[in-house]
This record gives sequence, C-alpha cells and structure tokens, in this order.
Amino acid sequence: MTEPVADNVDEIMRKASASAAVFSELDQDHTDRIVHAVFEAGFKNRVRLAKIAVEETGIGRWQDKVIKNVVASLLVYEDIKALKTAGVIHEDFERGVVEIAQPLGPILALIPVTNPTSTVIFKILIAMKTRNPIIIKPHPKATRSSNEAARVCYDAALKEDAPEDCIQWIDEMSSEDIQKIMSHKDVALILATGGGSVVKAAYSSGTPALGVGAGNVPVFLEKSADPAFAVEQILASKLFDNGTICCSEQALVVEQPIAGKVRKELESRRARFLSLEEILKVEAVVYDAKRHVMSIGVIGRSADEILRMAGIEAPPDVSVLVAPLEGVGKAYPLSSEILAPILAWYEAKDFDAALNLCIDLNFHGGIGHTASIYSNDEATILKFSKLMNAGRIVVNTPSSQGGVGGIFNTLNPSLTLGCGTGGKNITTDNVTARHLLNVQRIARRRVNPKFSGLDGRLFYDEKVGAAEIENLYHRNT
Amino acid sequence: MFNITIDSGRMTCTFPERMDTLACEKYQAQIDQQVTQAPTPVTFDMNGVAYVASSFLRICLKTAQALAKGQFELVNVGPEVKKVFKIAGLDRDLTIR
Repeated sequence: MTEPVADNVDEIMRKASASAAVFSELDQDHTDRIVHAVFEAGFKNRVRLAKIAVEETGIGRWQDKVIKNVVASLLVYEDIKALKTAGVIHEDFERGVVEIAQPLGPILALIPVTNPTSTVIFKILIAMKTRNPIIIKPHPKATRSSNEAARVCYDAALKEDAPEDCIQWIDEMSSEDIQKIMSHKDVALILATGGGSVVKAAYSSGTPALGVGAGNVPVFLEKSADPAFAVEQILASKLFDNGTICCSEQALVVEQPIAGKVRKELESRRARFLSLEEILKVEAVVYDAKRHVMSIGVIGRSADEILRMAGIEAPPDVSVLVAPLEGVGKAYPLSSEILAPILAWYEAKDFDAALNLCIDLNFHGGIGHTASIYSNDEATILKFSKLMNAGRIVVNTPSSQGGVGGIFNTLNPSLTLGCGTGGKNITTDNVTARHLLNVQRIARRRVNPKFSGLDGRLFYDEKVGAAEIENLYHRNT
Repeated sequence: MFNITIDSGRMTCTFPERMDTLACEKYQAQIDQQVTQAPTPVTFDMNGVAYVASSFLRICLKTAQALAKGQFELVNVGPEVKKVFKIAGLDRDLTIR
C-alpha cells in the first residue's frame, strides 16, 4: 500500500498536484473521516514513534516525546475537528456575504530535528483537515522517525479513501533539489519549522510560506509572584524533553525582593548555579562562537551530560544549570537561545530594570516569539505584555506547554508558532488549520446608502473639504 | 452505468456518476484488456460523471500512454471533473473536450 516517494522533484509535484485535484472534490464528512483516521493512527503510534525519534536523534526524552505526540494528535484533533473547512463555511445574510473554503494546494512541510514525529503528525492533521496534500521534508538527522510518522498517517488516510499521494515523504534530497522543490510552481505553501536558516530559505524561495522564528524566552518573576509555584512551573517546562521546545524558558529575570527565595527554591530542586569559571567552560561547549548560535550537539542533552561535556564534575541528579550573568548579547553566550536545560539568571533591582533586561533578552534573537511572566498584579502583567515583542505572553504558566497551547490555556495547540513581522513571519498566531485555507467570498448586492446618497458632483469640486463630505456622508435624511 | 462499446474502430467507455476507488478497481481490468487487445482510438465519455478518485486519473494516464499520441480523449466532461483535471495539470497532457 505504501510506497516511498520518488526522489525526483517533478515526479513528486506531479503526484501532489493530482492528489490536490482529487482532494478538492471531497466534502466535509469524507474529509473529517480521513482526519479522524490520521488522529487515531498518530495517537496509536505515539510511544513507538517517540522511541524511534530519541533512538535516531539522541535528542530529548522519549517519555516527553510521547506527550508531544499526544498534543500533536489528540489536542490538535480536538481543536480542529469541528472546524468547517470544505464548501460553505459561513453565511451572513445581513451583509450578503457567503464564505467558501477552498484548499491551498500542495504543502511542503519542513520538519525540525527536535520534534521529528509530533510536528509531522500535527502538520499532516491540519493539511488533511483542509484538503491539502502534504510533502514531508524531514531534518536529515531525523529521516527515519519523521518518515515513519508520515507512513502511519498515510496508511490510515488511505483506509478512509483519501486521495493517493495526499501524504508524501522525502528520504534523501540534494540541497539543489530542496531549493528546486521550495520554488516549484506547484507548491502552494511552505510550512517551515526549524532553525533560522531553514525558515529564511523558505521565505526566500518565492513560494508563500508560514514559518517560525527563533525564540529566546525571558521569564520575569515579579515581586508579587509566588516563588515556589513559579520555580515548580519553570522546571516542569524547562526540563520537558530536556528543553527542546522553542518556547521554553531561556532566562530568569528576578526582582530582588524575591530573588533569594527563588534561588532557594531552585536549589531545593537540584538546580546547579554555575560559578564564573564554570560558565566559561559551559559556554565553550554549548555555543558556536563563530556562527553565534547554540551548538547542535548540545540540543536536548541533560544537565549532567552538558556538565560532563564541559569537563565539570557532574552530580548525577542535577536538574538544570543556572548561569548568573551580568549582561545580554554576544558577549554573554548563555543569554542566547540554548535548547537544553540551561537558564540565564539576572537579579533586577527594581521593576524598570527588570523590564529593560527582558526587552534586551527579547530582542536578542527572540523577537516575536514568546515571553513569560509570573505575577499576581494585573497592571504589571499588562505593562510587561505591551513592552514585549512576542506573539505569546504566557502568565503564571510553564512556557513550553503554554506557548504550544491547549494544556494550560486556550491558545490553539500547535507545533508551529508564528512570530509576527519581528520574526519575519506573516502571523503571530499559533498556526493551525484555518491558516491553510483560501476563503472565497460571494458578495451579494448591498448598496451603501450613505455613499449612493451623496451628490457625486461634490467630489469634483475642490472647494469641498473632507469635513463637509464627512458630515454629508453621515447625515440622516 | 459502465459500458464499453466499439464502433467504427473507436472504443467508447461510459461511467457511473461516482468513479471512486472501488469503481475504478472494478472496471480497470476491463478497460486495460480492451485497450491491450484492440488498441483503437479510445474515448471516455464523462457524461454524468460528477466525482473521480485518484485511481481514475491513473486509468486515464495509463490508457493515454498505451495509445499513440492523439488517440485518447475525454468528452462531455462536466465542470466539477474538469476542475479536477485542471488542478492536476492533466489538461496539458490529455485531450479534454
């Protein structure tokens, strides 16, 4: 039943176009049966796929990857299942507007190494829901796990009479062919999740793209926060899959009145505060100083593994590394995004100093992504939120799970988090099925009486000003 | 209704309203056999067909490839099915009237 995809770009796109054509015929009921089958297959295989992913990539913990697969299957399915995505989706008789959902066409999905199975399940679900064929392009280091996730979804879809080739996956592809497929005329959209270079390549291809940016999540622990609760939540998030989620906490900015308590709570949970000498050793292994990005080899490694890599004696039960820093920027490598259990630590003398630090962190590689605050003061939460350039500001919530949505808040569950124009994205939304539709509008004749009641000759009289026209436009007669 | 007629050296097939996967599986062997045995010009009369599955697109391509260029055509194609061939880009490779 299942065949590996051809390695020829034109052949892949020929199949995808044929699939798109047949997909466009399906009604909502048939579409929803396919989506349900894919959800069931993703959920059924959640543990097996998680283990394959960790075995193949060496990144993260399989137990947490199971939860990611649950989010990508169960929570995403529950979020989208009632959405109308085929035919008439909305009628407004008063305005005379009827909306019809149309599929986009073939979607090219770029998959990250950090979430190689959950992102596949997620993207396939939202593509099937919107009747778009999808081509999975896995990260080269996660080909086996991503493609196995695609295969189980495809087999399930076919059993519900989905169009052939509605899901394809790429085993190997040269960089020239990757460029070729990204700019292929028949690709309707690139759904890009991954590192900055991948997302930039997608946006530069000339094909419409929905991408994400890098994160560098500041966490502001304001003086009204509950230190014990905040630390518990932060660690539940930062340690999840060894910190591989792009909206996981990167730096703690703590107001001085509660700094001592927060530090004590961290240490009681086996956090290791690093000395200056240790910080330099850790920087050397977790940060690529030439490219000014985290080292690939450290992604998803545990705290004790990182200490050993840095040549520091590692207690076996250390949970997270905390690095007290004096500043933000390239001179302080640990103030950058590191997808591993490492947190930068700043003590701020007052509210304004804390906000300034958070702004610096936010603009140091994390524009548009996610920010986090622990506070019990509404005015503070609002002020912080207005000052952050972030698509998501999560409040008193673990930011990994909070940013992804659907567990601790009502954001759309998503493995692709928009970062707005600051992150060179077109949206700040959690990307989901509604972003994968072309919406047509049938517009019935509803003449605007205010406009038709105006004497059109006034427009040609230069002595008539805007105030006069505005007055006439709104006049009740 | 599915039917194959051969008249004046031309084979003509008609189809039911829905050419879904099951229908394609049911009729493909008969079409293949006729095309293989008597490679005449072939017409698929699409009158009344409102839905085609992926398998039907494959039958069209396979039939066209088995014949000399210009010997295969689809006629009486309704708008729903015509749009499918357009999206698939098959209107460039097949004769659709």
